[in-house]
Amino acid sequence: MATAVTVRTDATGPARERRRRTSATTVVQRVLQYVLITMLALFCLVPFAWVALSAVDAHAGPTVGAPTFSLDNFARFFSNTDTPRLLLNSLIISVSATALNLACGLLGAYALSRFRFRGRTFFMFSILLIRVIPAPATIVALYLLMVRMNLDDSYLGLILVEAAAALPVTLWLLKGTIDAIPFELEEAAWMDGSTRLGAIRRIIFPLVGPGLGAAAMLTFMAVWGDFLTPLVLLQSPDLYPLSIGLFRAFSAFNQVDWGVLAASAVIYMVPPAILYGVLRRHLLKSSLGGAIKG
Amino acid sequence: MTSIPVPATRPGRRFQGRALIPLLLGPSVLLILVFVVAPAVYGLYLSLTNTQLTGFAARDPQFVGLDNFRYLLGSDDFLASLGRTGQFVLFSAIIGQTVLGMLAALLLRRTWLRGKGLFGAAILLPMVVPEVVAALTWASVLSSSEDGTFNRVIGLFGGAAAAPLQDSPMLSIIIVNIWRGIAFAMIMFQAALEDVPDELIEASRVDGASATQVFRYVTLPLIRGPVFLYLLLTTITTVGVFGLVYFLTQGGPGAATELTSIFIFERAFQYSQIGLGSAASVILLALLMVLGLTYVRLTKVEV
Repeated sequence: MATAVTVRTDATGPARERRRRTSATTVVQRVLQYVLITMLALFCLVPFAWVALSAVDAHAGPTVGAPTFSLDNFARFFSNTDTPRLLLNSLIISVSATALNLACGLLGAYALSRFRFRGRTFFMFSILLIRVIPAPATIVALYLLMVRMNLDDSYLGLILVEAAAALPVTLWLLKGTIDAIPFELEEAAWMDGSTRLGAIRRIIFPLVGPGLGAAAMLTFMAVWGDFLTPLVLLQSPDLYPLSIGLFRAFSAFNQVDWGVLAASAVIYMVPPAILYGVLRRHLLKSSLGGAIKG
Repeated sequence: MTSIPVPATRPGRRFQGRALIPLLLGPSVLLILVFVVAPAVYGLYLSLTNTQLTGFAARDPQFVGLDNFRYLLGSDDFLASLGRTGQFVLFSAIIGQTVLGMLAALLLRRTWLRGKGLFGAAILLPMVVPEVVAALTWASVLSSSEDGTFNRVIGLFGGAAAAPLQDSPMLSIIIVNIWRGIAFAMIMFQAALEDVPDELIEASRVDGASATQVFRYVTLPLIRGPVFLYLLLTTITTVGVFGLVYFLTQGGPGAATELTSIFIFERAFQYSQIGLGSAASVILLALLMVLGLTYVRLTKVEV
């Protein structure tokens, strides 16, 4: 790769005299680039204007307007009969699915990382291929299967499906994390009389933290944001999570309470936004280099 | 305990360990088999039947062979939905997200640029919020009312108010999807650009190459692999886009934004033709599997 590049730089070599640039052109170029990145950022931000403004507007409508500031919409979100239920359902489903996903994922990833057995490589690549299957392509059969198993229209069914759907990513991520924990640490624990499971508990659990945190956030965000699966699997309004509640509220054309809708959207988007902020910093620190040295 | 000689303990522990494999991996395998693999296989079977959700055929579904596939491949509705999905992928993912994502990644690498954190966060926001919120924000932007954000911006430049979701629905959902995907492209390209040594860029600049030349002949060849992987990945995920479009248009007006994902959903759950919906899923999956296998091949990860 390095040689190919050397050839290229040689090829452009003759234009050496253009090296000095007047500072004026540099300034113009920089201003242009600032303009570009600002426009890009505005394009990304402007659509949020309606949600942000309407959530705190006492007289919110379907479009952007100068708000009459009030937190009444949030108060109504929590005092309405059906909206707090949406938040609660979202929390129940996302937290349970994440917990189940991590419990299965951690054990499975340990096996994939520490043992060499037949079918291991096949399994790892098969679950990588699963990531490729888009949810709409299996949702029809999934629905019928869930009806046959009496798992449709229930928390349990949705939690199992969501936990399973996020497992490939969790397994890959945690396997990588456990790979990075030196095996010698576990062996040392065995020397000291630990059983295999005891060593997992004392050595792996404390060190797997960053990977586990990342997997937890990714799974939680995927389940929290999912729209299609609950739309198809759930029929009782009592079980609706926020995604479906928002969709139904928005589609009720004649009687949309725009203020509460915007407030729900804000409440709905806060957890993933915060988690993502944490996750980004977290991921950078997830190296476990010095665990054995020193 | 500590005085037990090493060779004596190890084989014992190893053996004890291997017996643990089914216990450790079992729950994961079971969950994936029942809730991911089984639906895919069951879908394959359903696609060969005339299963319905309601009505006479719901009681007694018949095996109809390849009838569903024959019907679909001769159906203008289905072929048009595939065409729309292709258009959607090409313009929103392969062109829009890639170009803007690359632009963002390159600009945010400039050492003299101030406020990188803020710009980066702004670009990330569309990706971070749930699908439903993303769609909701655009519902107000694209509102046909004169107060809609889009119409206000148009008004600033003296344009007449329009109803984008009615007048040019495909273009609207393509722009919405570009907006949502810039961040993913940016992250992938930022990671790829990390591996391009700064000295190399500087050296070519010193040698007189223009910024575009440097990008075309130095940067791009070095990140070709990751870019190709990104294109595969974004194609695969864009084919699966459902909620974003369904929330905004429900496939309408008419069938103008009926992507294949929406076609499947409507056939199966609105017209209750499970067999037909499954057959459409199988066709979509077959197309994606080719891309998917290429993806798995190319990732070249060590297991």
